[in-house]
Amino acid sequence: MSRMAVIQARGLGKSYGGKPAVTDLSFDVHPGSVTGFLGPNGAGKSTTMRLMLGLDNGAGTTTFDGKPFIALDHPMRHVGALLEAKPFHPTRKARNHLRMLAAANRIPVSRVDEVLEQLGLTPVSKKKPKTFSLGMGQRLGLAAALLGDPHTLILDEPANGLDPQGIQWMRELLKGLAASGRSVLVSSHLLSEMALMADHLVVIGRGKLIASGPIEDFIKGASKNSVIVRSPQVTDLAELLHRKGLTVTVLEPGTISVAGIEAAAVGDLAFESSIRIHELSNQQATLEEAFLEATGFAEEFQAHQLGEGGQQ
Amino acid sequence: MIDALRYEWLRITTIRSTYWISGITLVFCVGLSFLVAMASSFAFDSEGAPAIDEITFLAPALATQFASLQGPYIVAYIATIIAVFAWGHEYRHGMIRATLTAQGSRVTVWVAKYLVVAGWCLALVVTAYLLSSLVSWLWLQDDGLALVSDEWFEQFGRTVYYSLIFVWIAAAATSILRNQTAALVAVYLWPLAIEPLIRLMLFAIPNTEQPEKLARYLPFNAGDRVIRNSEAGRALDAFLGGEQISTEVGFVVFTGFAALAMAVSLVLFTRRDA
Repeated sequence: MSRMAVIQARGLGKSYGGKPAVTDLSFDVHPGSVTGFLGPNGAGKSTTMRLMLGLDNGAGTTTFDGKPFIALDHPMRHVGALLEAKPFHPTRKARNHLRMLAAANRIPVSRVDEVLEQLGLTPVSKKKPKTFSLGMGQRLGLAAALLGDPHTLILDEPANGLDPQGIQWMRELLKGLAASGRSVLVSSHLLSEMALMADHLVVIGRGKLIASGPIEDFIKGASKNSVIVRSPQVTDLAELLHRKGLTVTVLEPGTISVAGIEAAAVGDLAFESSIRIHELSNQQATLEEAFLEATGFAEEFQAHQLGEGGQQ
Repeated sequence: MIDALRYEWLRITTIRSTYWISGITLVFCVGLSFLVAMASSFAFDSEGAPAIDEITFLAPALATQFASLQGPYIVAYIATIIAVFAWGHEYRHGMIRATLTAQGSRVTVWVAKYLVVAGWCLALVVTAYLLSSLVSWLWLQDDGLALVSDEWFEQFGRTVYYSLIFVWIAAAATSILRNQTAALVAVYLWPLAIEPLIRLMLFAIPNTEQPEKLARYLPFNAGDRVIRNSEAGRALDAFLGGEQISTEVGFVVFTGFAALAMAVSLVLFTRRDA
C-alpha cells in the first residue's frame, strides 16, 4: 500500500434531463476510518461515487491525495472500487478476470492468487462467474477492489447478497483495512451494519449533503435522544422541567421522557427540588432513527400506506 | 499504453467466443476453398486442363472465398463479431466501469481496443487467406495454379486492408450504439441489405442517372472496390451494377467513412457517462 490519502470531494453536481441528481456536494473522507455513505433510494449515492471516479461527467472535483482519479498512474494501486453487483463477464474465469485487471496495473499474478485466497475464492478461481451467487459475485468484486492493495476503497453496497457470516466477515475486513490507515468510503442500506462498522458518516438526500462527521455526533443530534425518568412525584418533576423550557412526554403513569437535557442535569434539578427519583437513564436514538429523522423529507420515492380495500 | 494493450489482449484471449468464432471462420472458409478447388480439379481432369487466364483469376478467388469476384468477404464478416464483442461485452455485462477504474485514460482504452481487435482479426484474415491458398494449390497445382503470383500478392494487400477497415467500422458502430445486438444487425444489414436497397431505389427513379451514380459512393459499395481486383470481378460488377468507381476512389470513400465513424466513436466514448 502507498501512503495514506484523504479523499476530497468538492462541489460535485450532476443532472439528468435537467433534473438535479447531485447538487454542490462536498465532503472529506479521512484515512484510518470507515466512512459510511448514507441516503435514501435515489438520493444520488451511486451517481456521486461515479462522479468521484470520473466515470460520469458532471460538476466539481474529487481528489485522492491531491490528484483526480484520471490523473492516477495505475489507478488500482491507489483506489479500489466496487460499483456493480456483478462487474465481470459471465464466462471469463474468476482468476482470469483478476489477471486482466492486474495486467493493466502492473500487479504481479502472485497478488491475484493472494486476493483470491483472502476473499475465499480459491476453490472457484477457475470457474465461470455465471454460476456464482450474488454473494460470490460481490466477493469477486471486492477481490478486484483489493487487487492493487490500494490506500483508498470506494464500495457501493458491498454487503448486497452476502449472508450474515459474509456481512460480518466484510465488516471485519473493512475495519481492518481502515485500521491499517486506508480511507474507506462505503455506501449501504444496512443501517445496523453501518452503525457497527462506520466511524464517520456522509448523509445525503435528494443529492444534497444533509450531514457529515463522526457517527456519534450524527446520532447525538437526533431529537429522539432523551432522558427517561421514573418518579413517584412525576407530576411535580414534569412541571419543574416544563418551567425550564424542556419538552416532556409522559410515557406511562409515573414515567416521563425529557428531551434536550442530560440525565445528570435532570438528577440535579430533582435533587434541588427534593423530588425522589426511582429511575434515571439516557435513551439514545439509534442510527436508523437519526437517519430517518435527518432524511425524512429527502426521500425520492415515498411509499404510502394503502387504505381499506387497497385504495389510498 | 503497453498496460492497456496487455489488458485488452487478456480480455480478448480469456473468453471462449474469440476462439470459437476464429475456429468457425477458418473451418468454414478454408473448407469452402478446399471443396471448390477439389471440384475444380475433378472438372479439369475430366474436361481438360484450363486456360492460363482461367486459372489466374481462380487463385485470388479461392483465397478470398470469391469476394475478389463478387459477394461478401465472409472472413471479414465473421471477424467483425470479435470487434463487436470487444465493445459490446463492456456494456452488456457492465464491464465498462471495471475497465475504466482499472485504466484512467479513456483515450488509451479506446486506442488499445482498436489495435488489439485489429491485430487478432488481421491474424485471422491472413491465416484464412494463406490456408485457403494452400489447400487450393494442393488440388490445382498440376493444373497450373501458382501458390503465389503478382495477382495473389495484390489481392492479399487488398483483402487485409478491406478487413482492417471493416473491423474498425464494426468496432466504431458498437462503441457508438453501446449495444452489441444492434451493432451486429447494423454491421450486417447495412452492407448486405440497406445499401443494395438504396441503390435499387435510386436506380428506379426514371430519366436520371445522377442519383444512381451517387449510390456508388455508399461506403460498403466503395469498400467492394477495394477488395475486388480481378478483371473478371470488375466485369461482373459492371454487368450487375453498371459503371463503378475506381479502386482509388473506393479506397478513399471506404477509409474516410471508417475514419469518420471512429472519430465519432472516440468523441462519444470520452464524453459519455460510463
